[in-house]
Amino acid sequence: MGRRKKIVQECERLMDEPENIRNIAIAAHVDHGKTTLTDNLLAGAGMISDETAGEQLAMDTEEDEQERGITIDAANVSMTHEYEDTNHLINLIDTPGHVDFGGDVTRAMRAVDGALVVVDAVEGAMPQTETVLRQALREGVKPTLFINKVDRLISELQEGPEEMQQRLLSVISDVNELIRGMTEDMDDIDDWTVSVEDGTVGFGSALYKWGVSMPSMQRTGMDFGEIMELERADKRQELHERTPLSDVVLDMVCEHFPNPIDAQPRRIPRVWRGDDETDLAESMRLVDEDGEVVLMVTDIGVDPHAGEIAAGRVFSGTLEKGQELYVSGTAGKNRVQSVGIYMGGEREEVEEVPAGNIAAVTGLKDAIAGSTVSSVEMTPFESIEHISEPVITKSVEAQNMDDLPKLIETLRQVSKEDPTIQININEDTGEHLISGQGELHLEVITQRIEKNQGIPVNTGEPIVVYREQPQNPSDEVEGISPNRHNRFYISIEPMTDDLVETIQLGEASMDMPEQERREALQEAGMDKDTSQNVEHIHGTNILIDDTKGIQHLNETMELVVEGLEEALDNGPLANEPVQGTLIRLHDARLHEDTIHRGPAQVIPATREAVHKALIDGKIKMLEPMQDVRIDVPNDHMGAASGEIQGRRGRVDDMYQEGDLMVVEGIAPVGEMIGFASDIRSATEGRASWNTENAGFEVMSDSLQRDKIMEIRERKGMKLELPPSIDYL
Amino acid sequence: MLTFIGLGLYDEQSITVEGRDALQNADRAYAEFYTSKLLGATAADLEAAHDVDIEVRDRTGVEQHPDDILEAAESEDVAFLTAGDTMISTTHVDLRLRAHDRGIETRVIHGVTAQTAASSLTGLQNYRFGKATTLPFPYAHGADGLPASVTDTIDANREDGLHTVVYLDIKVDHELTDEDEYMTADVGAELLAEAYPDLVGVVVARAGSPDPLVAAGTMSELAEREFGDPLHLLVVPGECHALEADALVELADANRDALETN
Repeated sequence: MGRRKKIVQECERLMDEPENIRNIAIAAHVDHGKTTLTDNLLAGAGMISDETAGEQLAMDTEEDEQERGITIDAANVSMTHEYEDTNHLINLIDTPGHVDFGGDVTRAMRAVDGALVVVDAVEGAMPQTETVLRQALREGVKPTLFINKVDRLISELQEGPEEMQQRLLSVISDVNELIRGMTEDMDDIDDWTVSVEDGTVGFGSALYKWGVSMPSMQRTGMDFGEIMELERADKRQELHERTPLSDVVLDMVCEHFPNPIDAQPRRIPRVWRGDDETDLAESMRLVDEDGEVVLMVTDIGVDPHAGEIAAGRVFSGTLEKGQELYVSGTAGKNRVQSVGIYMGGEREEVEEVPAGNIAAVTGLKDAIAGSTVSSVEMTPFESIEHISEPVITKSVEAQNMDDLPKLIETLRQVSKEDPTIQININEDTGEHLISGQGELHLEVITQRIEKNQGIPVNTGEPIVVYREQPQNPSDEVEGISPNRHNRFYISIEPMTDDLVETIQLGEASMDMPEQERREALQEAGMDKDTSQNVEHIHGTNILIDDTKGIQHLNETMELVVEGLEEALDNGPLANEPVQGTLIRLHDARLHEDTIHRGPAQVIPATREAVHKALIDGKIKMLEPMQDVRIDVPNDHMGAASGEIQGRRGRVDDMYQEGDLMVVEGIAPVGEMIGFASDIRSATEGRASWNTENAGFEVMSDSLQRDKIMEIRERKGMKLELPPSIDYL
Repeated sequence: MLTFIGLGLYDEQSITVEGRDALQNADRAYAEFYTSKLLGATAADLEAAHDVDIEVRDRTGVEQHPDDILEAAESEDVAFLTAGDTMISTTHVDLRLRAHDRGIETRVIHGVTAQTAASSLTGLQNYRFGKATTLPFPYAHGADGLPASVTDTIDANREDGLHTVVYLDIKVDHELTDEDEYMTADVGAELLAEAYPDLVGVVVARAGSPDPLVAAGTMSELAEREFGDPLHLLVVPGECHALEADALVELADANRDALETN
């Protein structure tokens, strides 16, 4: 492939010129046309043939992606584009739009400086559009807008120029309203709204491969009227040749997205909390290719030959084969076996990848998506927070016992690649649990295990993940060790939503310098003394050490934390995780000698104390909720809202949008299982719908006991609650 | 009646005559060996020597579920056995208090413990010992490396010129290997050498057995040597009285000059 080789060579040359590099992501609501658009860009850059662009879906490299017609993992590709007589290197990440795969989108945003947001002209801005925009802006990634499927307005809906203009302007103003709202409180961002006049908005049809923007109209001399005529007359090939989509979009990318030198000084303080006075900070800000190596891993993939591949953004230094690099959160170093860049689904090995680029590295065996990899030990990057927690669990079992070791290895791999997946391996029963963002998320993962690894598996029915949370502050309770020589005095209180969110977003974590953590917690409403005594954060729970000068407590604290974590991971009601709880350690009595305050003593004592306190704080079950939006023709509206209400749901709003009615509401995830087929039959397939995880809510009192017993039975626990739980 | 009987240091012969009589007359006998063990005798040896049945309890069986022991003691004569003394180091005072709660009469029959052996084999005077401490296996306690409670204890004793007994960790039925694991004195000395490479320590090995060993040296020296079968313990001498120094030189082959600076 001579041409491909040339592109690789050109990419290698351009990698050293950060002014001419653009790192971008394409993000959108599901089915708004990201992947088709990406194919156009690849064809424009000569990487796939022009004819097949739009059908090839080159970025959907997994078989199941091409089958389902949706992108599941974020995929990477590099290409070149000439803009104003200068060749530019464009490193592009295509991201999934389906809500279940949101974790991939968040991670992709860390690697890029610009996000091309694609919106369907007919549907307009949708819930997932809002989500991806928020993810981009939170990472300090600049947006531009491409309005896709304009051909449908012209040919299908037969809209006139005015009607069409109205519609496009309203899409733009909806998107701008979102951007404005989200950037209001961001001091480092002035005005990132998009506009036709500035050239930060493009229109077109990814399917028919044409596009238009203000600058392109000036260049080609084609106005909108002419475009409409050609589209109506079905002269789409001519349209494509005269004003190709790829030129319009890639010009926009080169013109309006920041290069790494412009972007990194702004982005580094946003995503890294290390000391900004150091040389390391300086070389990251300056994109210094001679500085220490800093790579932020955003994705782990597997190549059948090369093994695990870590992809990510090089913020400083130059990656080369043979380097010994630190991986955050692990001891020791990993040796780089090869470095490369992505060309479509394939990796091309290159000699080196300097700062400012997206690299593919093999040999980093300890890295997971989210790791900081560097040539000197450093403060890791902010953990990439994907706010949705797993809400659904499924059991997976190998059909043949012989496959068991391979299955365990595959499951570990899966959770390394996608940290929004949680794996619970039980080597005793052989029944492993995977937890994820939704039914589809888990279905795709299990299919991959079967197809890619050839391991036949049996899966259980999806099980909803519940939470437990105390409703009131508790009194101080005592936990006694089995030998009765160690005693811990603990109370708990529920935390405010503000505090919980601060922890979920990673704005306060144990990784960050104490001073900053303290400030973040105080800002979320924690009082000063409490914020100074934070000892540990586990999930969304905080341990406060209010003790003073207790001898030997510091060497026992690790065991206290261990007992605390056990107690929180398995709540007292039904062994479900505890959330949003502040635990205060008031006092402790310890045995003089380490041997008599070892794990066998301290862990059960703390666990007992925490559970007693939680029960005293009237702990209750919480269930995960989903926001539901259904777009449906008027005559099916009753059936659609009935589907929400019939699922212990609540309809919050109903309104007209275009010729459709929109029903918005909220329902428990547990009741939403099987929703897809039910809504289809209830509305004769006329409804389109969308769900988004909406956190956990306390279940109504009348359901508490039944749900607890149901879960306890499933888990093989005793079917009677401790007598102290008398409030349910 | 619940009688706590110390089995002494080494084998079925180490129990006192009073203890032996009480054990042989008991209706029922329980023992725990999870904190220390007789190296020269198994539970079966004890049963054979004293012609009794002994039920060996694990930690949970003593600490969390002692109810049947106590119940039996309400109506019968029950013996509760441990290596050494039942109330030193491994204090079963909690069990004794639980028995009193139930109105059960209790009695303690002493055994010889490592604490007395440390003093009597080294010649260091028991009036001049400070607080004792246990050196745990690095994986078995909650912090990294040498725990502060160990160094704090040694430092505080040295400050006051006192000797320190350092017990070495024992793991009975280790969860990974299922075997008993004893920290030997060379391993203990190596851990202590991190903080005190040149401090003189005294190894007491197999106290109470037919071939006990007492040996002095700096922690780094001791770390390089081998002291044979367990159990071992370490003593860190503080300021030595003239006679104590003479004893260490004679009995443990200590270097007199090095002792001066300890």
